Amino acid sequence: MADKDEDTPQLSGVNAGDIDLSDETQDFRFLSNLSFSGTDLPKIPKRGEKDFEPHATSLQSSTLAASRAAMHSALSIPRIHPPKTHIMATYDPDTNMAYVDKIKSQHFQTIGKFFQGKEWLLPEEALFMLERGSLDVRWPVLRTADEDENDSNSLGVPMSLQGAYAAFIGMECGVGGKLTLEMYNVYAGLKRAGYVVLRSGSWNNERGALDFTNLAKLDAREATNKFWNFRIFAEIWEMLLTRKSDGGAERLALGPLITPGLYRTYDDIYRLLQIIPNHNRRSPPTFSLPADSSNPFHVTYHIYKPTGKFRKSAPGPPDYRVAVVNARETSVPTMAQLSDLLATTPYDPPSASSQLYQRLKHGSRNIILAIVDQGIPSYIRVADASFSDEKLYERQARGSRGKRGGFGRGRGRGRGRGR
Amino acid sequence: MASAIYSAEVPSLVTDPGTNRAVPTENATESQRAPRPKKPNYGQIHSRPLPLETYPLPAFIPHNPLSIFRIVYVVFSQLFRPPSSHPSVCYKGYFSHETQSVHVTDCKTIRALWEKGFFGKGNLSRSEPRWLDQEMRKRGLLAQETSEEVTRKRREERRRFKIERARKEREAIEQQLREEGKISHPAPIDETETLDNAQPQEIRQQLSNGNINDRIEENGRIKYGRTPALPEKTPIKTTQPLKLDTRHSVEAAGIELDEEHLQLNPEEVLFLAYGLGVLEVSDQGIPIPTSSLFKLFCRHSSCQSPETQSIQPDDSFLLKYVVYHHFRSLGWVVRPGVKFAVDYLLYNKGPVFSHAEFAVMIIPSYNHTYWSESLERKVKIQQKEKRDWWWLHRINRVQTQVHKSLVLVYVEIPPPLHDDGAISELDVGNILKRYNVREFALRRWVANRNRD
Repeated sequence: MADKDEDTPQLSGVNAGDIDLSDETQDFRFLSNLSFSGTDLPKIPKRGEKDFEPHATSLQSSTLAASRAAMHSALSIPRIHPPKTHIMATYDPDTNMAYVDKIKSQHFQTIGKFFQGKEWLLPEEALFMLERGSLDVRWPVLRTADEDENDSNSLGVPMSLQGAYAAFIGMECGVGGKLTLEMYNVYAGLKRAGYVVLRSGSWNNERGALDFTNLAKLDAREATNKFWNFRIFAEIWEMLLTRKSDGGAERLALGPLITPGLYRTYDDIYRLLQIIPNHNRRSPPTFSLPADSSNPFHVTYHIYKPTGKFRKSAPGPPDYRVAVVNARETSVPTMAQLSDLLATTPYDPPSASSQLYQRLKHGSRNIILAIVDQGIPSYIRVADASFSDEKLYERQARGSRGKRGGFGRGRGRGRGRGR
Repeated sequence: MASAIYSAEVPSLVTDPGTNRAVPTENATESQRAPRPKKPNYGQIHSRPLPLETYPLPAFIPHNPLSIFRIVYVVFSQLFRPPSSHPSVCYKGYFSHETQSVHVTDCKTIRALWEKGFFGKGNLSRSEPRWLDQEMRKRGLLAQETSEEVTRKRREERRRFKIERARKEREAIEQQLREEGKISHPAPIDETETLDNAQPQEIRQQLSNGNINDRIEENGRIKYGRTPALPEKTPIKTTQPLKLDTRHSVEAAGIELDEEHLQLNPEEVLFLAYGLGVLEVSDQGIPIPTSSLFKLFCRHSSCQSPETQSIQPDDSFLLKYVVYHHFRSLGWVVRPGVKFAVDYLLYNKGPVFSHAEFAVMIIPSYNHTYWSESLERKVKIQQKEKRDWWWLHRINRVQTQVHKSLVLVYVEIPPPLHDDGAISELDVGNILKRYNVREFALRRWVANRNRD
């Protein structure tokens, strides 16, 4: 359940349990077959399953050759700008962006911004379009005053892919906002996966605003609930029956927290045990760090699932929020960093009908961290898990009426899930 | 432990009939397979989540007015003679300096602590103290297969499957080579590898038989200590799985004592002593009060000289206890998670019912202004807070592989209570209340699987 969506096909089936083999005492006698002396290279002992192992059959080598030939033939097709969909863009060195005069393609449903008669492309948008061969970006031409602006001869030199990378990436002080290589890696990866990716907030802003969405609604709902729920009877009953903690200070100082005596339910006991303060996830978010560039964690992109309903003019709330960080320059966020980052995302509680584990994993606020290590992004979803809101003991008290407890049977998990 | 193990039983591959002596029909044909041994009623055994009793009032049944009288009777009788939720005699444990844990040797206490809340670990077992059961099984006194045996069988089966798969693959390649005319004659299959692999297996089987001790010692690798070599015994058929109360048969089998004891780690001890008040720990016969216990564990948690009386606010034991107490007080069963490279595992109800769903990693957080007051302190804290991404990826990978979700628990470290940087006066509750806990659930996000 935890990660059904993992790229681990070997987990299914019989060898799912390989993991707990480590419990056994290791037998190292296979090492004695190794020869470390002499000129010949030591033969590495074979352990486990290999995806691919070369063996001397010509079947294998011919399969490999066929696959390679197919790739080469696919790559050898010349890629051209067909005149019908040839889109020209001009690089604007002041803003580090590119503008398009005439829109001809479907791509512009999700990219670009119309401003002062031109369609402006963000650096990552222009670079991505150029890299996939859908855009012809030209270097700007210095024009003298008497030259005609619309003269077709005044077109600049085409921008090469190398040139585009050098031009668009970097330029921290530019108006178009900075584009780091990490940001572009994430942008291009998500675009290729089919998502609609938009830069979040204003382009210069390092940090978004605090997000109070849904919190007010929540308060109102709770207030009405309390009023109409006849809770007053429940409270009287509770007042009569629950044990009050006696001898507060002394009990806390030296324990035991559960003073010897009569207890009616385990709920009472657990309530008395709760002394460790906890973060309140329903309180309005606050920032605890100064708003400067020392904090590398901020929402970089808003991403939308490709549903077809997306409109550039009114994108609506995104499906996911991504914060891009460089794995080599940052470390695992501190609580303050994480807390500030999550404060800029909306309050998004799990649906009331979902299961306990799902609710905990969903959390009250969430963000996706894209950690880019030398061009390889790995995504981690961080959720503000509200363990203290989901009191397990209350569920168990409700659940364990039956003779058998109800848990634990028939979770067809397969084997080898470590304990 | 049991649900996965029992469900994985496949009887078709019986490795050695000797191991199945007590269940003689199992190696017969599939048609007359022995019924699967009945699982103990875990719901009943572990019905209490903590080693405390509760006395709920009888239910009020609206259409039965007599139930009111019953409630009144119970209330009044308990008013005059209130029963205690705590055990009549405090559980006893002994602090062991060598292992830095608390040992519990009394059988009843061991069972109570394990069954009610899953505290501690048997020193000769993986978690539940099961050494005696295993010993009895080896002597043929216990009809039911122990869970360790089932695990062993399952692993053996898996190993054989792998050898078989490798052999088939090799044969396919050879067949292909032969068709291509690269080798002329059918080459003999490399037997040495399989034989070599089979050898430790043989030993393991003998171990599980438990009656071929001399051959193992001859081998020199495994010393099978105090267990006397027994003559072959006819298995004693018992209708019920033997439990600790069947002392006579245990003695008859030559096991004088249950040599296993329960080890409680410091957090469990403090929770049982300070939180619940059911455990009394003594050191060389002298009982240790709770406050001293707290100091003792803090002192042992770091490599400082044990003379220093000061407790740092980010003492590792303190942090671990804060998190342990937090999750215990929410109703989770918290067990050490060192096996999965984390600090704790969280079980819903307990390990016999289901796998742990959450793996907890503790991260101290120095957010308070005290920690950034001076430059020197700031640099020190930055060093302490620095954890590289690969560290997180490693841990997250392990959790993904074992289907657990990683939970990072940030513990807000308060400034020291006094200016000398130490906590001198001991008020356990006050110390614990100064920490703040916040949990974050992590999981890998895969772009291709979240699109639709």
